[in-house]
Amino acid sequence: MQRLREQVGLAALVPWDAVEWTLRLALAGIFLYACADKILHPQDFASIVKSYHVLPDPLVYLTALWLPWLELVLGVCLFTGFMRDGALTLATGLLAAFWITLVVDYFRGINVACGCFSSSPEESAPMIWYMGRDALLLALALFTVEARRRAGEAA
Amino acid sequence: MRLVPRLLVQSFSILAISAVLALGVNAVRPDGPAPVLAAQSAVQLGKSGGEIGVKDAALLFITGRAVFLDARSQYEFQQGHVQGAISLPPREFASQYQDIKPLLAGKEAVIAYCDGDRCPLSHALAKHLRDAGMKNVYVMVNGWTLWQAEKLPIAKGAAPLPKAAQGGICRDCENK
Repeated sequence: MQRLREQVGLAALVPWDAVEWTLRLALAGIFLYACADKILHPQDFASIVKSYHVLPDPLVYLTALWLPWLELVLGVCLFTGFMRDGALTLATGLLAAFWITLVVDYFRGINVACGCFSSSPEESAPMIWYMGRDALLLALALFTVEARRRAGEAA
Repeated sequence: MRLVPRLLVQSFSILAISAVLALGVNAVRPDGPAPVLAAQSAVQLGKSGGEIGVKDAALLFITGRAVFLDARSQYEFQQGHVQGAISLPPREFASQYQDIKPLLAGKEAVIAYCDGDRCPLSHALAKHLRDAGMKNVYVMVNGWTLWQAEKLPIAKGAAPLPKAAQGGICRDCENK
């Protein structure tokens, strides 16, 4: 019981505002970095989206056009704090959806060039690496959501 | 505002803003807009026209995605032409273009051809079409000779009915 009290006291000492701000900026940086090359080369990114084999052909181009701009707007919102709850939710959902897609493709035996930070299909790595990296990013996003919640409670 | 409605409003706002930005910027890209809803194609056409090879032209012909314009004389056209092609010699462009214009709408490519490596007629016709505001105009250089050499579908006789110019392979359209 004594230990629990100590833990609760310790948690109250954590500056959740600062934690949330730091994590949110990190997440913003990742999204802003990820979108740049894909915005410049939508055709190349479309080839990568197609290689995932999860979307019907007509939707491939639309997704390749839209997704980088969604990443940009999410990055800006996370950076500035404008509509931050919606941006955090969407960013977490996007990373989760992407992780599930990678896992599904892995079990289907499909190796893809990730297209995460580059639109070049030549920059490919093992699927396990992509899944591990995206899991870390998803964990970062979830931790940011939790920090935001705790910062809200503390306020 | 309560949490869930706030999340929904913000999420939809972000989705809408990003969609407007994506489509808006795509429409004014300096290298021309990327296709928004399209399947990938084996035929890679230049966005502002140019020349087209017989293989690509044949693929577009088979799938009915192109209309062929024969730039040679009426006499040569009657001796033989790409099946479904429309006769439009450059010197008759001004008098015939308005009648033919509706047949060119909605096609991926408008392909002008004549005969011979150095034949200027198809280029002259393509220039007329571009000057009239058409962008998807392509020249099949030495088109008639190569088309025949590959034994691709041809037809003889007078200009076909407009219907024949709209389909893909039309094996007996001259008889209808």
